Amino acid sequence: MALNIDVIKAGLETSVQDFPGRYGFWEQGFPPSGPFDMWSFRLANILVGNAPEAAGLECQFMGPTLKFSDDCVIAFTGAEMNATLDGETFPMWESVAVAAGQTLACGFASVGARAYLAVSGGIEVPQVLGARATFHMAGVGGLEGHALKDGQSIAVNGGAGVPGRKVKQDCRPKIANGKQWQIEVVQGPNDDWIAEEGIERFLESEWKLQARSNRTGYRLEGPEWIFADKASSKGPEHGEHPSNILDHGYPVGSINLCGQTPIILVNDAPSAGGFINPFTVPSAAFWKLAQSKPNDIYRFNRVSVEEAQEMRRGIDGLCVEDSIE
Amino acid sequence: MIYDEPKFLPGGDRFIEMELGDELNFDLNFLVHSLSAKIREAEIAGLIELLPNMASIVISYDPDLISFADLKSEILSHYRNMGSLEDMELLSPIYYIPVLYCDHVTRACWEDYCAKITEKEYDSDILVKLNDLDGYAQLARIHSGTEYWVAALGFYPGLASLIALDPRCRLTAPKYNPPRTWTAKGTIGYGGSVTCVYPANTPGGYQMIGHTPVPVCDIEQSLPAFKQDLALLRPGDRVRFFPVGREEYDYIESRVTAGDYVHNVAHYAKFSIRAYHEWLGTLDMKERF
Repeated sequence: MALNIDVIKAGLETSVQDFPGRYGFWEQGFPPSGPFDMWSFRLANILVGNAPEAAGLECQFMGPTLKFSDDCVIAFTGAEMNATLDGETFPMWESVAVAAGQTLACGFASVGARAYLAVSGGIEVPQVLGARATFHMAGVGGLEGHALKDGQSIAVNGGAGVPGRKVKQDCRPKIANGKQWQIEVVQGPNDDWIAEEGIERFLESEWKLQARSNRTGYRLEGPEWIFADKASSKGPEHGEHPSNILDHGYPVGSINLCGQTPIILVNDAPSAGGFINPFTVPSAAFWKLAQSKPNDIYRFNRVSVEEAQEMRRGIDGLCVEDSIE
Repeated sequence: MIYDEPKFLPGGDRFIEMELGDELNFDLNFLVHSLSAKIREAEIAGLIELLPNMASIVISYDPDLISFADLKSEILSHYRNMGSLEDMELLSPIYYIPVLYCDHVTRACWEDYCAKITEKEYDSDILVKLNDLDGYAQLARIHSGTEYWVAALGFYPGLASLIALDPRCRLTAPKYNPPRTWTAKGTIGYGGSVTCVYPANTPGGYQMIGHTPVPVCDIEQSLPAFKQDLALLRPGDRVRFFPVGREEYDYIESRVTAGDYVHNVAHYAKFSIRAYHEWLGTLDMKERF
């Protein structure tokens, strides 16, 4: 049976997302969007028996308060947002039956930063360019193109979820509050614009996540970059600053160097521009980015392309029915 | 230069940046889009999408279906089999965009900038002076006197970098400093040697020389041209601007508002680089429209 979810309080930028997001329109400037922590998102869908492409909600830093019009099964994964269902503590990483008229209230994220809500049947919003994911900067997809607003109503497809299913402890991402993260990076594509001692400095230094970070980019604060000769002896079309390059495409996850400020380009990032990308964060480390908070400290751990692909397979192997008990 | 050996640079676990050269050069950009078309035709299993730009292509792929090494060698073999640049042809539709030059919309935007941010000379005056033109009429004549090549899209959804194909019509313009906090959707901008149509109300830095009522991006998908795509242009397409007066501008705007405006496009148009080079050889570069 179909139902509605009333948005009592929207939370801080809660949006509809789907996996893997929007593909095929990148060359026109539309980024993939989709859930930032795809590991937690996929497990939420599996818990409630949804297809992988079913749309759910991404809650950031402070979650929403939602009222369900009808009986359904829901699951909440990712960051700990101290959710309650009609005042009772609501368990994470577990499918739960919700009765008509009940209210799920989330608080601030106390461990991690982003939580994912799946509802059996999946959220029903129109597909835009083949996806339901929200790209709010251009007002594309999701619920009317933007983050949820107080007083809106979200339609949900009919679905038959089973309550009481849990994600095995060792199949969940290890979201912790240590404030220190080891983030994998692959060297390139434009690492030859950085001097060898600059590469070493990047890998040996601590980088602080700045507050001005969001689903477009993660700004980092750290030591000065040291450029290779190539960065200053180049044609005028590459621009004046050593970090400038002739306009080129930006891989998702690339660490974009704007002057001296590195910005990790994430799900909603611009597709192209005129700055170099000396390193790239592989997809398997995105859940760590998604679950970290401003002022957290990153150290980067260099891996090969093949190692990064193996890590990705490792996570894919956990986003399966076998991870449920 | 165009490299003898293209570079295949890793971008994490699922992207490759293929660099074909390192300069701003029409032939190189044409090569980028011709190769992109070839790669798409080949339908390589595991290749997800392409992001062609000035001199490079970012390729996204599924590493469970194809390895970096196999994808590289497959793309390289298509590249080697492309034959000579001179023989290349590309299907390149031409989109016709009406422009009201020195219009009321961008004048209001400029006045607002002068009042709120800093005094600056009127944009079209800057272009006229810098490019040694007679006045606004010649600016419109030159800007609309050439086809433009969609070299790339990016920065913002639907925003295309347009390069004049007729070298006699290449203008230069400085950028706003500081940039504008807003620019009206449909503004015709000029910055460096690139012109553009603003796809939405966004900040911006290009000089504003005119305005079109015809959208190049439509999130609401209200016009027939946007039933499949939200953005009108793809890399390797062409644009031709044509000047209109206020009456025609208002008429087109009313059709857009009514939701029944049909974009004017020549889908059959091919681009032959040999014919283009031959034509370039006949031009007298001192001539101006």
